[in-house]
Amino acid sequence: MDGRENEDVGFQHGGEDDLHCPSLGMSTNPLPEKISGMIMSSVSMYKPSNGADPFFSSGWDPLASLSQNQNFGGSSSTVSHSEFANPPYPIALENQGTSSTGQLVRYPSNSSFVELVQKLPCFGSGSFSEMANSFGFPDCGQIANSGCPQNYASLKEGGTGITSTNGALSRDDPQISCEGAIGSSPNAKRRKRASDSKNSPITHQNAEGELQKSLSRESSDVLKEPDEKKPRIEHSKGSNLRGKQAGKQAKDTSSGDASRENYIHVRARRGQATNSHSLAERVRREKISERMRLLQELVPGCNKITGKAVMLDEIINYVQSLQQQVEFLSMKLATVNPELNIDIEQILSKEIIHSRGGAGAILGLAPAMNSSHHYPHGIFQGTFPSIPSTTPKYPLLPQTVLDNELQSLFQVGFNSCPAVDNLGSNAGNLKPEFQ
Amino acid sequence: MISKGATWNSNSCRIKFARRFVSALLHMRNRNTRPGSLTIEGVRTHTQRIKIAAYLSMAQAVGSRRAWSRAVLSKHGSRARRHSRMGRSSVGLKKTRVIRSYPPGELGQAKKLRQLVPGGKTMDMCSLLEETAHYIKCLATQVKVMQTLADNFSK
Repeated sequence: MDGRENEDVGFQHGGEDDLHCPSLGMSTNPLPEKISGMIMSSVSMYKPSNGADPFFSSGWDPLASLSQNQNFGGSSSTVSHSEFANPPYPIALENQGTSSTGQLVRYPSNSSFVELVQKLPCFGSGSFSEMANSFGFPDCGQIANSGCPQNYASLKEGGTGITSTNGALSRDDPQISCEGAIGSSPNAKRRKRASDSKNSPITHQNAEGELQKSLSRESSDVLKEPDEKKPRIEHSKGSNLRGKQAGKQAKDTSSGDASRENYIHVRARRGQATNSHSLAERVRREKISERMRLLQELVPGCNKITGKAVMLDEIINYVQSLQQQVEFLSMKLATVNPELNIDIEQILSKEIIHSRGGAGAILGLAPAMNSSHHYPHGIFQGTFPSIPSTTPKYPLLPQTVLDNELQSLFQVGFNSCPAVDNLGSNAGNLKPEFQ
Repeated sequence: MISKGATWNSNSCRIKFARRFVSALLHMRNRNTRPGSLTIEGVRTHTQRIKIAAYLSMAQAVGSRRAWSRAVLSKHGSRARRHSRMGRSSVGLKKTRVIRSYPPGELGQAKKLRQLVPGGKTMDMCSLLEETAHYIKCLATQVKVMQTLADNFSK
């Protein structure tokens, strides 16, 4: 500090003062230390001695600490210290006096204090020795012992003008000092906020801007978070699998979504692990969740189910039920009388027509056509080969099915009229349908 | 008309299956001339055959696109049958080699699912779920076709 140099330069100290100075300098009480520092600094201007240098150096520290705690005192001390460097004696004394009054103000009013206050303004006239004695070093012990501040409004008689400036300056010091202390806390706050935001689900689009700012600030600060990996709850996209937990956390400046174009080119999402293993794992998990969603749509009555285990149970039950149905139906089919072969074709044709999509209209027409039972077999046989020829636009499958029907019909033979009629009606109806 | 494509896909699957299944049924009935259907054992074996025929025809309709259909075809194919009937254990050996290497499932449910879905023992979870989805779809159509057949038979 500049004040120290000034004091060393202008230090003139007597033997007595040296003896008393230790008592002042060694006082642990911050308030008396301040005054002691003030006093010593004022004394040092006029009585420099080498022995007291450490005192002043030590004295400055409590002063510096005091400046944070007590706005008025700190600024005044700095002001006074800076003023000490100036040669004009009366001004320094005046400042010193005012500052000392300001500091002395805080101490319990003793008779000696009052004397000091009264005597200080007259430094300009009085001699130095008088001033030094007027300080009342024996009283310094009392000052050192005193620790309780007092309302100094009554004692602020001669220093109101300058105290205002001191007060103005005092604001700077504690601000600067406090900023140093506060500066650390915003970082902690930012860290805490960022970590909290990271722990929260990522899909909060509103918080992304804040996250970005905080993360950028953190990146500017020298933090270990990019390299650190802390456990966090992973937020997966799948709604069913939100309960999953990942074991990694890392800062990720890229805020792109995970793209699944390629196994390699997967961009890590914001606030998620960038490790290759975790990336692949996440891709895999997302795939699984997507498939689970598809299955959820397939399996009836699974819209409300969220959870992989329950969903898997449902899927297993459904597959088991379907397989049981197949077995039951196959048993039923096995017990059916095998003589009714043509019915199979009839059913098959019906099935095909059902699947065409225009089943409603055709079924409506079919009963009407069924009424005409007197289809001549010859015509019927004639129409069959004509169907494939006249309907070239048909897709191959129904044609092949019809061919199959034809073959089976020819093999088995026409046994029942309704089957034939149905086929005929179907054949007749197929024409207009496909045209 | 726009939805024709979607319906066509499911319908093509259905039609293919129906065709194959019915032809298989007919073939079976033509072969099974003796009246063995009256006995319970006969019915049971007939049931089993019909069931296998249903699965096979469905797998054939799907083709070799799906892993489960390939597994079904390899299991119940004509060659496999010949091998099993002749007493050859080559297919069985291959099966044992393949089965033991199935990847560790997450839960016991995955294991159960693997047992249900044909060919699911060697699949990882991701593809297992995919195959399960397709398998469920095809099973549903199979059941529907068989249901209509059975209903029409009973009329």
